[in-house]
Amino acid sequence: MATLHVLSHSPFADSRLTSCLRLLGNKDALLLCGDATYALAQATAPLQALEDRAGRLEVYVLSEDAQARNVTLPGWVKSVDYPGFVELSIRYDRVNTWL
Amino acid sequence: MAKSLLVISRQAPWSGLSARESLDIVLAGGAFDLPIGLLFMDDGVFQLAQSQAPSALQQKDLTANLKALEMFGVEDIYACGKSLAERGMFPGNLNLDIRHLPQEQDISELIDRYDHVITL
Repeated sequence: MATLHVLSHSPFADSRLTSCLRLLGNKDALLLCGDATYALAQATAPLQALEDRAGRLEVYVLSEDAQARNVTLPGWVKSVDYPGFVELSIRYDRVNTWL
Repeated sequence: MAKSLLVISRQAPWSGLSARESLDIVLAGGAFDLPIGLLFMDDGVFQLAQSQAPSALQQKDLTANLKALEMFGVEDIYACGKSLAERGMFPGNLNLDIRHLPQEQDISELIDRYDHVITL
């Protein structure tokens, strides 16, 4: 049983990403969209926190949101478009959107 | 069989609508006999503080809604032990008797037991 956690808020403004990373299950995945894509900004603590889990945690990013913000995607991040987002939400048992 | 739902409430009570809305979802689910759980974590545990006086902010008290949970058949109420401890709160000084106090490492297991999850 696995959950897709969807984050859309900037990790620099609140604790959603931190809390989410603390309770992630082994098979869970993360999808960053909106301002949450800033978590991948270079030389930042959120990027480091994600990088520490690279290989163990699937991280997806909504490509147009990253592109719009000029966020460079590290190699371990999988870029998806909206149809890919839909496909992911079907593939996982449940979607937890951190509103 | 109705699908089960876990609501995770992680916002403090008086600075926005999230706390009230998450409670409303749970009460509505309870009214329709859905298998429903409620987890307080992060600042959400501040909803459980005793002797709050939201009338000072011209806001309605949520405590009555919390007390109504049991009447609506919502019995699976959880509070994250770490979130409570970080905020100087403990099971004995809450406005609600909470029997389930999962630690962080148990929360993903808790989520796995439900079909749907809403985090507010």
